[in-house]
Amino acid sequence: MKQGPLGRRNFLKSIAMANAAAWMAGEPKLMASNPEGGKLIHPPAKADSIIILWMAGGMAAPDTFDPKKYIPFKAGIPVAQVESTFPAIDTVVDNIKITQGMENIAKVMDRGTLIRSHVLPDLGSILHSRHQYHWHTGYVPPQTVACPHIGAWVSRVLGPRNSVIPAFINIGQRLEGVGEQEELKAFTTAGFLGGEYGPMNLPFPEEAAQSVRPPKGMQPSRFENRNSLYRRLVDKAPNREWLSDFQQKSMMRSMDNAYRLLSAKERTAFDISLEPKESLEQYDTGRFGRGCLLARRLVEAGARFIEVTTEYVPFFNWDTHANGHTTLANMKQQIDRPVARLILDLESRGLLDRTLVVLASEFSRDMIMEGKPGSNAADQATEKVDVLKELKHYGQHRHFTGGSCVMLWGGGVKKGHLYGATASQRPFVAIKDALSVTDLHATLFTGLGISPKTAFEVEKRPFYATEDGKGDPAMGVFA
Amino acid sequence: MNWGFDMRNTQLGPNRFVAFGFCFWIFLLPESQGKDIDFVHQVAPILKEYCGKCHLGEKKKGGLSFNTRALMFIGGESGPVIHPEKPEDGDFFKRMLSDEKMLRMPPEGPRVPPEMVKILKDWIREGAKWESGYSLGGVHYEPPLKLKKIALSKFKEGSQNPIDSLQFQGGNGISIRSAPDEVFLRRVYLDLIGLLPTLQEQEDFLASVDPQKRITLVKNLLARNGDYAEHWLSFWNDLLRNDYTGTGFITGGRRQITKWLYDALANNMPYDQFARDLVAPPTPESAGFSEGIRWRGEVSAGQTVEIQFAQSVGQAFLGINLKCASCHDSFIDRWKLEEAYGMAAIFSETPLEIHRCDKPIGKKATASWLFPELGNVDPKAPKKLRLEQLAKLLTQPDNGRFSRTIVNRFWQRLMGKGIVHPVDGMQSEPSHPDLLDFLAGDLAANKYDLKRTLFLIATSRAYQAEIVGHPMEAILGKNQILGPMEKRLTAEQFLDGIWQITGTAPQIGDAVINRWNPKKTNNPNGVESKAKWVWSVADSSQSPAGETVVFRKDWNINKPVYDGHAVITCDNRYTLFINQKKIHTGNNWEKPDVVSLKNDLQIGRNEVLIIAQNGGSGPNLAGLWLDARVSSPQGEWVSLETNESWKWTKALPDKNGKFLDPPKDWNAAFIVKQAAVWDSRLKGELNTLANQGIIGKRPIRASLVKRDFFMANLGRPNRDQIVSVRPEELNTLEAIDLSNGQILASLLEIGAKGILAKKYQSSEELIRELFQLALVRKPTSEELHLLSEGLGNKPEVQSIQDVLWAIIMLPEYQFIR
Repeated sequence: MKQGPLGRRNFLKSIAMANAAAWMAGEPKLMASNPEGGKLIHPPAKADSIIILWMAGGMAAPDTFDPKKYIPFKAGIPVAQVESTFPAIDTVVDNIKITQGMENIAKVMDRGTLIRSHVLPDLGSILHSRHQYHWHTGYVPPQTVACPHIGAWVSRVLGPRNSVIPAFINIGQRLEGVGEQEELKAFTTAGFLGGEYGPMNLPFPEEAAQSVRPPKGMQPSRFENRNSLYRRLVDKAPNREWLSDFQQKSMMRSMDNAYRLLSAKERTAFDISLEPKESLEQYDTGRFGRGCLLARRLVEAGARFIEVTTEYVPFFNWDTHANGHTTLANMKQQIDRPVARLILDLESRGLLDRTLVVLASEFSRDMIMEGKPGSNAADQATEKVDVLKELKHYGQHRHFTGGSCVMLWGGGVKKGHLYGATASQRPFVAIKDALSVTDLHATLFTGLGISPKTAFEVEKRPFYATEDGKGDPAMGVFA
Repeated sequence: MNWGFDMRNTQLGPNRFVAFGFCFWIFLLPESQGKDIDFVHQVAPILKEYCGKCHLGEKKKGGLSFNTRALMFIGGESGPVIHPEKPEDGDFFKRMLSDEKMLRMPPEGPRVPPEMVKILKDWIREGAKWESGYSLGGVHYEPPLKLKKIALSKFKEGSQNPIDSLQFQGGNGISIRSAPDEVFLRRVYLDLIGLLPTLQEQEDFLASVDPQKRITLVKNLLARNGDYAEHWLSFWNDLLRNDYTGTGFITGGRRQITKWLYDALANNMPYDQFARDLVAPPTPESAGFSEGIRWRGEVSAGQTVEIQFAQSVGQAFLGINLKCASCHDSFIDRWKLEEAYGMAAIFSETPLEIHRCDKPIGKKATASWLFPELGNVDPKAPKKLRLEQLAKLLTQPDNGRFSRTIVNRFWQRLMGKGIVHPVDGMQSEPSHPDLLDFLAGDLAANKYDLKRTLFLIATSRAYQAEIVGHPMEAILGKNQILGPMEKRLTAEQFLDGIWQITGTAPQIGDAVINRWNPKKTNNPNGVESKAKWVWSVADSSQSPAGETVVFRKDWNINKPVYDGHAVITCDNRYTLFINQKKIHTGNNWEKPDVVSLKNDLQIGRNEVLIIAQNGGSGPNLAGLWLDARVSSPQGEWVSLETNESWKWTKALPDKNGKFLDPPKDWNAAFIVKQAAVWDSRLKGELNTLANQGIIGKRPIRASLVKRDFFMANLGRPNRDQIVSVRPEELNTLEAIDLSNGQILASLLEIGAKGILAKKYQSSEELIRELFQLALVRKPTSEELHLLSEGLGNKPEVQSIQDVLWAIIMLPEYQFIR
């Protein structure tokens, strides 16, 4: 092929006015200052990793972490009399009670802080996917730019803890073949930060090993040979000189990263079948339980941000529009053992102090009230009855945004602590230390050593980690 | 097509420029005639000395900038700081005079001396006269609205592309290095039609000794209307945020413009008409763009469909970002809240309340467009008329912003970097203003023929040169463009290429369109479906609500099934079983389903069973329609259609389509008399779906298929927001998917099997052909040696698959150079 008398590098060098300013289309710039003008200073990190345990679909606080007046099911009882459908149980912390069905979690409540005053906005008709988008990005959709998931923020600002393990891993949620999949995809993304910081999606924990294995049916030796053939072919390319340095370096770096992960010893962390039988059985209450196990293995291997979801499928799992009590008994059975075991495992491995575990949901629920007082949201209950007739009427069937629970463990938070409270009578709105999504995010970011005012310049305007840089961390939850 | 370089057509005639006053800033105050205060010599030095540290140039503390008069009066994050009527009342003077530590301005250092404060006050009282075009920021640029008339002094008619004569003015003597034919060939195919050249096409071009062969090739590629449309469809889908699935469609809050867009591209609709059809849709076919996305639930005032309209029109056609101004007066450019709302009000059915940062300001918007100096819409006119007025204003030749924006986007697509960069920020200064205005003027003067613009760029010496790097390397001459930048393949180009190399393109797309077929333009898909609407009676207009009829047909197939699909619809719902396995259900007769049959048929007899059910609350019309086609690996097609040869019963099977007690009353189906009711709505679409990818042998393109995980990973966006530039870097997660993802691995495996079946004479021959297909060049002897070693003496599926993988993972494959 015709190369000309000079190679490309010499040719380029001969261009006298080479402009040194690196520039790239669309790449957002990290801003060095905070909105008030001073230099951006990150707080000292209290945790190195974070696990979000996502109770998708709206976890009802009165039936989980914030017990109210319990009335057992009986046909003929007015619905409005019932506040909780599970009795309260004691926990290892004197002043904290939670509800029946969470006996294992009750035993680890002394390792963390329970927030009972998380408040969510009432976005008109209260839609799961919009609230989930808001909770995961800090911004209410729709937005004019693609907003990054908080995992992408963490990935972008802190990078991976172990360079072979992707910094942002999302476990348990399918993005294809489920209702509202487009809406789910809209926030399960790095948005404008760029794909490098996006989630590695592992919808089925038991298949996670497959995603970091050489392709199905390819023996390790063949995989290695293929890579070696590829590397030699790249080196032999006669026209490398005529490809841009930037592209080659960037592309080869990504290919190298991929190969390193797919052939690294750390990839065994993705394989939950390697877990001892006793432990696997403890965790294995279902997909979510196995997801918790995978999360623990990945944190041990050096993962940075992990989310484990009780999968969101409209009208399933926590999304109880009918038959709520029965469904929740099952959901609690799914989460109780693995969550408690996760906390204890992290503790026994000396990882809990530097791992922030967060259990949260897009909003709470109530037996009778949709939204919160004054909401114009339409009643979402499948059967609107005033008096309980059948068991399927018994449960928290309406979305409630005025007071929701978040559990924090490890990562420098206070132990056995209760933060905030909801009213003792309906409506169960937060009456003390109300904490918005923006401020909760600021709290989580602060725990990880990221300033809530961190911003990137997008389309010439600043875009902040917390909405408009205004997130105010609840320092009261930290020890 | 007339793409000859006739000077008479390359410019707007002088009489086309109607003189009009420049009025770029919409002043808050009437300009004073007072001559007492001299802005440049009296006011500017004070602002520089006492305010410059925080409010000039890049600095805009509290959102406040004094770079321009407009910015100064717009104020900062807490609103205006200068009250024109009573200057003393505003923060500007209050804080200048305050002694309070927290308030005083400047916050430290000497105060503004009283005599200077007086100068500033007098200046404001006199109307704050600001020297025209003067910016204290030092970087301010405002593009002129009308196009500059470009004199092509060095241009010689017929002998040279006019772009060449423009971009070398003022150069420093470094000459362009023309790319070799092979490089040009691959580049121009991918850039213009998104495909790799076939072996035959390569041979023809490379063997030609015609000095004009590159020009001829460009012309021929642009004349491949179907390929052109199917490549550029992705660009326009991104820019107009059109898609086949996504947020909003499921709730009816969004409409596709696919069919209209495809036809517009295939027929090269003039760009002014194209824009007018989108802004003021003459039919519902092109209405989806202006209607935007109606989100569920309450949205902020900055995301209503009216504001979306303002933002989308601004960004797509004018390279104006109204996102800031949709919420408050922009801090970054000249656009103001009321201007954004003025655009929105053009689209609004009812009076539109202006909201600042989501709070109403107690004022209604007046319909108005962004450049009133070119004329304006009549706010009192009805919506339809207002939209037509806007469409006309937008596309008038005096609006240079309109033509500049699109030619700049095309330049960016072909050359890797816009003349104005980024391409959505058309207020920025162009690197080559004459070149930009020449291309824009040429487009306007030639009936907005977009292919002509592409032709001009693709036949320029700059485009034909060796690449000069990547935008990240930023090695661009100030006055020269020495060659194109390296460009990453889009997800669609990447996949189309693999489908070409391995022969694995799917048989069916998701885009509902009439695919372009040069041979049969009247009936683009050739074969009309023979399927009929059937039911248990001929007059099914009185079918009871909920009536359920089970239809059956045995289908004998005597070759293995390689691929195939059924198009099926039922008024009102159906469940399809094949060989006692549930295949698909559907309940919307207006949206026919396309169901893959690849894996469900066997050689011999196949039982096709459909439970069809009528809907409604009283007696109403019912019918079932199916057209199934499958092919053998050798490409022989067999089909099955609903007609009177089908049998029906009222007995119901179990959930697997199996009768525990086989019915004896199988009756012959009837063709429904009233089929015209459905045909008038669906016939064309059913035909299209049934024929896609089968007739004409043109493989399906990635642009016609829904965004799957693989394409998403390679940067195909979800189209909730307008996207004008795809990601330029391959990231680690993508690399993992390329290394072990199942979708790619399967394609390569099928491809390898096909290659093996071709029985090449030798491994070398196989490698030469793969290189030629993928990279459009011969392998070097080293490469040949290396890959032959990889293949071994007796190539097998696995070794071919790995060699294929190694080749398409080369940067040389993944980039256009």
